[in-house]
Parts: sequence; structure tokens; C-alpha cells
Amino acid sequence: MEIGYESLSCDLYREAAISRRKLLTGGLLAGLAGLAPSALSQVSVAGKQGRTRDHSVVVIFLRGGADGLNIVTPYGEDGYYRARPGLGLAKGDLHKVGDLFGLNPALKPLFQRYDDGELAFVHACGSQDKTRSHFEAMSTMERGLAAEGGAASGWIARYLSATSSASNSPLRAVSIASVAPDSLSGATHATSLGSLADYRLAGSESFRTALGSLYAQNKDAMAQAGHETLQVLGQLDKLKYADYVPSGSASYPDTGMGQGLKQAAFLLKAGVGVEMACLDGGGWDTHVAQGTTVGWLTGLLDEVAKSLDAFARDMGTRMEKTTVLVQTEFGRRVAENAGLGTDHGRGGVLWAMGGGVKGGKVYGEWPGLEDLEGGDLRVTTDYRNVLAELIGAKLEPADLASVFPGLRAKPVGLFG
Amino acid sequence: MSVSRREVLQAGAGLGVAATVGGCTTFASRYAAAPLPAELPPPKLAHSPAFRLLNRAAFGPVPGQVAEVEASGLSTFLDAQLKPGGDENPALMIALQGIMPLRMDATELRDEPEHEVLRGLQQAAILRAVYGRWQLQERLVDFWSNHFNIYGRKGLAAYRKATDETKVIRPHVFGSFGEMVKASAQSPAMLAYLDNQLNTSAGPNENYARELMELHTLGVGGGYTQRDVEEVARCFTGWTYETRYLKPRGKFRFDETRHDFGEKKVLGQRIPAGGGMEDGLRVIEILAAHTSAAKFVTRKLCKYFVGTDDGPAQRAAERAYQDSKGDLRAVTAAIVKSPEMLEGAPIVKRPFDYVVSALRGLGATTDGSRGVQGHLQSMGQPLYQWPMPDGYPDGAEAWTGSLLARWNFAAALASGAVGGTTIPLAALIQRGGGDAATVAANLLLGSPDSQVPRLEMPADAFAATLATPEFQWR
Repeated sequence: MEIGYESLSCDLYREAAISRRKLLTGGLLAGLAGLAPSALSQVSVAGKQGRTRDHSVVVIFLRGGADGLNIVTPYGEDGYYRARPGLGLAKGDLHKVGDLFGLNPALKPLFQRYDDGELAFVHACGSQDKTRSHFEAMSTMERGLAAEGGAASGWIARYLSATSSASNSPLRAVSIASVAPDSLSGATHATSLGSLADYRLAGSESFRTALGSLYAQNKDAMAQAGHETLQVLGQLDKLKYADYVPSGSASYPDTGMGQGLKQAAFLLKAGVGVEMACLDGGGWDTHVAQGTTVGWLTGLLDEVAKSLDAFARDMGTRMEKTTVLVQTEFGRRVAENAGLGTDHGRGGVLWAMGGGVKGGKVYGEWPGLEDLEGGDLRVTTDYRNVLAELIGAKLEPADLASVFPGLRAKPVGLFG
Repeated sequence: MSVSRREVLQAGAGLGVAATVGGCTTFASRYAAAPLPAELPPPKLAHSPAFRLLNRAAFGPVPGQVAEVEASGLSTFLDAQLKPGGDENPALMIALQGIMPLRMDATELRDEPEHEVLRGLQQAAILRAVYGRWQLQERLVDFWSNHFNIYGRKGLAAYRKATDETKVIRPHVFGSFGEMVKASAQSPAMLAYLDNQLNTSAGPNENYARELMELHTLGVGGGYTQRDVEEVARCFTGWTYETRYLKPRGKFRFDETRHDFGEKKVLGQRIPAGGGMEDGLRVIEILAAHTSAAKFVTRKLCKYFVGTDDGPAQRAAERAYQDSKGDLRAVTAAIVKSPEMLEGAPIVKRPFDYVVSALRGLGATTDGSRGVQGHLQSMGQPLYQWPMPDGYPDGAEAWTGSLLARWNFAAALASGAVGGTTIPLAALIQRGGGDAATVAANLLLGSPDSQVPRLEMPADAFAATLATPEFQWR
């Protein structure tokens, strides 16, 4: 097992060798071919600080600026109905969660989860970037910054880098979309999968077999990594996504969001070292005819709610080790426009579900609908405080100053 | 050897001219690869020093080159590489002339889509690394281009990077370090990338000032304070690029209306009030002469060339830096001629290294375009697209996630499935003695002793050799 270490003088190998010895003993004795999945996940998830990488995060980005006021609706403020005579959701249609807020009826599949404390929202959440440009606002948020300019890398990339170790899974972060989001920009252990079928090994049968023997010996950092990569491939091949049957009689919608979350659940359950999974949802830029209890926005919310519910059912008790965040680049104008839609605004709604979330509550200081910022809901919670708190509470210890430069952390109290 | 090479190049030039008339860079680059030698004997020694040197001072040997360097001697090779002449491979030069961002200026380029510009820049870098005669120079360009990294997808950087490469990086790799920093500070690509166009007396922006000290010259902990960052930022107020109507776009411009003319103090040295652009130039002189710069720059170069940054090679290079006042030819010579060059710890190949060394090792003919670039992207190193100002990482742990993509490239290259790229498999095997696995091990690992599985199909033997853990290191 120590073959080759002696001949290498670089400290890197030595460190890698020492930190991995404990972990690999079991795995290597079990042999390459017959390695048990449990051993694999141990190999893949050992972190730098010795803390096990056993918590995963799914980040869903609703692109276009989701209308927070019609997702978590401030029915208790008359100003809401004055600003939205055509688009306001009637009190009787909402799932009331207190005297101020009610949830959009399309979120019905999630009502019970909210009431049971599995799901929370942060209202009036957003960045300090006052832009109303989708591109700029998304880019700011995915880079984990306060405003435009500054670091070009993504916040997830910087988190991965801050917690990098010799035993990084090749799938530490996955983007289940054809293009990696800006949050993964600059990440070296991230993979973009248009679908799971993309993560496969080419070449002839004899070439693929030869790799097994080439990477059987754990002689240097790349050899170790190759060994793990082959295990991940073997594991994915054995579990066969095509034959995947979700647990808990979960039924995923046959949409991009639903099928993306199904792949995320499959990967997380496969124990291949996925720590961050990024998904996208499009179509939230509801300028015209966004609808009320039926229509455009309702359809989108219905898809998200059903997908999240299916995901939570499928994950079962693993949901305790998984946190789902749903973000959007900004909220929408308080007043409806002449086209019965809403224009770009500021404060939006962030959703958090799963492990560690103290749910059943709408977080954030409510700025009210009287004192607006140019017609928009003010931002009272910096979205980065949610992300920083999640890292602090559930993930590997990371230098938050490098992940979120310039952030003066202010606890939201969302995670326990 | 040299006679036959000259003949080869003349032939290549003739064909290349014809290709240019046809306007097709792919066609020209096909002739950039030198024909294979008649025989490809194994290296004289297992793990030949010449093989090792070519993997570190060059992007790996082309077929026959190990024998050539063994015959001429290692120091003859290095001496020549340290003083590149003007006689670059003519077919390469012709191929480069056809590449859009090298042919057009920044203003003209603006009509082209960003991804096409980036593709052209990458194509040029790949072709130069694969076919350039002055391999040490190409290695240094790779190093310094990452040292002064610019993210091609921020602002208009893609359109300005070609000029940065030709005016900042290439002319200075064997020149003065201070002059290279001065050129970089006047590079529109760098100024925009690090937001210095926003750095004005009314509203200073510290981004460039900080990276200038932290990443370009002194290094973290190099002896500067936050106060120095603020003062250096003041010195660089007004350093911007041309945007005025009817003035050449994309050129450097010192805008004195935005400059802070007050007195500054940088690293203990007073910069008197009333200075204009010379404030920034003075700052660079102070930084380049600083002992931290001598240490930081030589450590980083040593990491790149010999794999360790605290051995005798680094100490020799640091002395050379100080004695020569930052002359990069002297510094580079101290490193590449050190014993650690041949004996130091293995260095992981970044994807660019991996791909280029594979193409060179197998005498590939490539256009360096979509096919090769798609694989580089999958491996995580699409050139000019690292968003952080620190350049692509060089540690092994940054690249352990890229193995699947490397294996897929290995399989594709050996079976002729990389777009715009072929390898002369049959000729290599025949001239190398007939056994595919042995030939592959000789060419790619420099040794017939390496443990490579003996696979029946020649393409599989080559793919497996490219995929070995051993070939991931240099």
C-alpha cells in the first residue's frame, strides 16, 4: 500500500498519504472490484479538517426574478391589495402562516412540510446590487458578492477551494444543466452534466479494463484519484440511473426541474461524494399576464413544489443530511403593471428546506410595503448571510472571508 | 540532424505558403509537425535525463528528440533554448497568421463573437506549444500568462488578450521583470480585468493595486500593509484605456483629470506630490527591486519548473534575480540548469501540459481548434478562462478531478477521434521496432521498463499509455 511513497520527496504526497491511510485501509483490502458502496462514500467524503463531508446542498436558481410577493404573500398589509388590484391573491386562497403572510396555493404539496418545520422562507432577501439587470444580478449572486465588480469566481468554487483536500471526489460539485452556473466558475472538482449519461468513460473494453490495473496501485496523488474516479464510475454503472426507482413513492414531474432533482437524488444516494448540486429553473420573468391562482406563475410554482416534495420523499431520512436552497436574482416591483404582470424589483424570497433548517417560519426583517425603494421591496437580509450560516452550521469549516469577501456576517437564525 | 531539419522546414514553408493562399489554417498547421525520423530507437537510459529535461523545459519530446538532445548534450540544448532565434518553424508562423485575433486589432475584432476570439487565442497557444521550436520560451509564456492572468470572459478581455500576449508577455519572458510589470500595468486587458478604469482620485479602486503586490510582485505576506494598498491605488489613479470617439479604441491612456496628484508613501518611500503617470512607474520600480519580489517570483518559477520552491535552485535563482536586477534570462537559466531540473519531485501536468505533451509525444498533426479545445474544456483548463487573478492552479489536488476527461482524451487521440487531429500510429510502431506497447512506453514515458498493460490493439496500447498515472506527471 505504501509502494512508491518513499521515492517521492514532495510533501504533498506525504500529506496525502498520511491523511488517507486510515481511510483507504478498508477500501484497498476490500479490493478494487468488490469495493462496498459504504467504503466508497467514506473514501470520497473525507474532508480537510477531519470533519466528514456528510452534508450536501442542492442549490436551485429560479432565473428571471421570481415574484416573492406572490409566493409568500403579505396579505396582512392593505398596501399589497392596493398595489395589486388585479394580481393580488385573495386571503381565502392563501395558506395562512400567521397574521402577515400566506403561502401561494400552488405550494400546496409543501404546506405540510412547512407546518412540520421542514421548510422556511427568508423574505425581503437579496443582494446590495441595485441593478435591475438579470445578468448582472445573477452574476453578483452566483459569485457571492455584495455588488457588481470584484471576484470573477463563484462562491461555490471558492468554498470548494477553501475546503479542498487530497481526497476530493471528482464529483464534489455537479451542475445538472448543460452549462455550469457562475457559482461554479473556477471550481476544479465540479462537473457539468447535461444528464448523468454524460459522465462516462470512452474507449474500448480492453482499454477500460486496463485502467483498473493501472490505477490499482495507490502510488501517487493522481493514481489515488484515478482509483476513486473508477469507483465512482463503477458505482454509477452498477446503480444504473435508467433503472432508478425513487423511494417513498415519490413522483417527480416530467419537467426539467423534476427530472433534474431526480438525478440529484440518485447521485446523493449513490454516495459518490457529491457535496453541491446546482440546478436551474427558467421562466420567472413574469412581465405580462403572470396570473393569480391560475396562470403562468402558478404553473411554475406548482412544478417547483411538486418537484421539491418528490425530492424530499425520495430522499427520506437522508433529507436530514441535505439542504435545499431556492434562490432568485431579485424580487419584482410591488405594484402590478398595465399588462397584469410585474417588473424587475429588489427584495425577493429565498427558500430553504431539509437538514438543519428551522422551518415553519418566514425569516427576515419585514420592511413593509409603505417605505419602498423606488417602488420595490427593500432588501433587509443579505442573501450571503444565509449561505455563510449554512456553511458554518452544516458544512466544512471554511474561511468565510475568502468565500464571501467583505461580508459582515449577521446571523439569520435559519439553521440549527 | 540539423541538416535534415532545415530541409524539412523549407519543405514545410513551401507547403504552408500554398496553404495560406487557400486561406485555411488547418491545412497549414498540418505541415507544422516535422516528419518522423526514419528510426525511433529507445532512449539510451531508462528514465533518460534528456527525456526528463524535455518534459520540464519543453512540453515533452517529439519523436526522435530525446536521441537528438542526448547526442547534442543537455547544456547545448538549454543554451540554445535560452536564446531563441528568429527562425521559428515557418509552417507554424504561417498557421498563426491565419488566426483571427492575431490578425486583427482590438477594434476590428469587436465584430467577432467572444467565443470565436477565445477559440482563436487558444488555437494559437496550442499550436505554438505543440510546434514551436523555442519550447522553453513557450513554457515561459504559459507560466507568465498565468502569473498575469486575465479572465477572457470578463468585460472585453477576450478582445484585448491577444495584444496583452504580444506586448506584455512574449517580449519580456527573457527580459526585465520590472519592464514586464510596467507593460502589464499599461495593458488594457489587465486594467479592465482588475477594474483600474474605475480607479480615480474621486473614488479609488484598490483591486489592481492589491493584486499588483499580492499576486504580481511581492506575494502574500510580502511586507506591504493595507495602507500601502491604498497608497499604491492612489498612484495608479487615471491609468485607464482609451474609450474616446475617433481615438484608437483598446489602447492604454493616462487620464490626468482622474489622477490624484497628492504626495504618497509606498513601502516607506516618499512619492512627491505633482507626479503624474510616473507615480505608477515609480511604484513598479520599488516593487520589482524589493527583496520579497526576488523571493516570490523565483519561488513561483521553481514550483513550475522543478516542483519545489525552497531548494538550491530557488536560492540560486533568487541570487540571480538580485545580481541581475530582475533579468529573467539569468533567473530562468539558474533554474533550468539546476540539478533539481532533472532530479526534483514530479510535477503534475496541468491539462494543457497533458494534451500538448501527448500531441508532441506522438508526432500529431493538429489544427489546435475545436476538437482539442473541447477536451481541454472537459479537463477544466479552457485557456484564458480562469476567473481568478491567480492563474490556473498548479498543485496535484486541483487536477485530481480531471482524470476521467484525460482518459477520454487518451482513448480519442489514440483512435483518431479528436477533431482536426491525427497521429501517425502505423509509422510510429514500424519505426520504433514493431511492438506498439514498447513504442508507446518509449515515446511517452521515456522508458521501455514502464509498467504498461500489453493490449492487443495498437490504439489501445497507446491510449492506455497516455492514460497511465505516470504520464500525468512531468
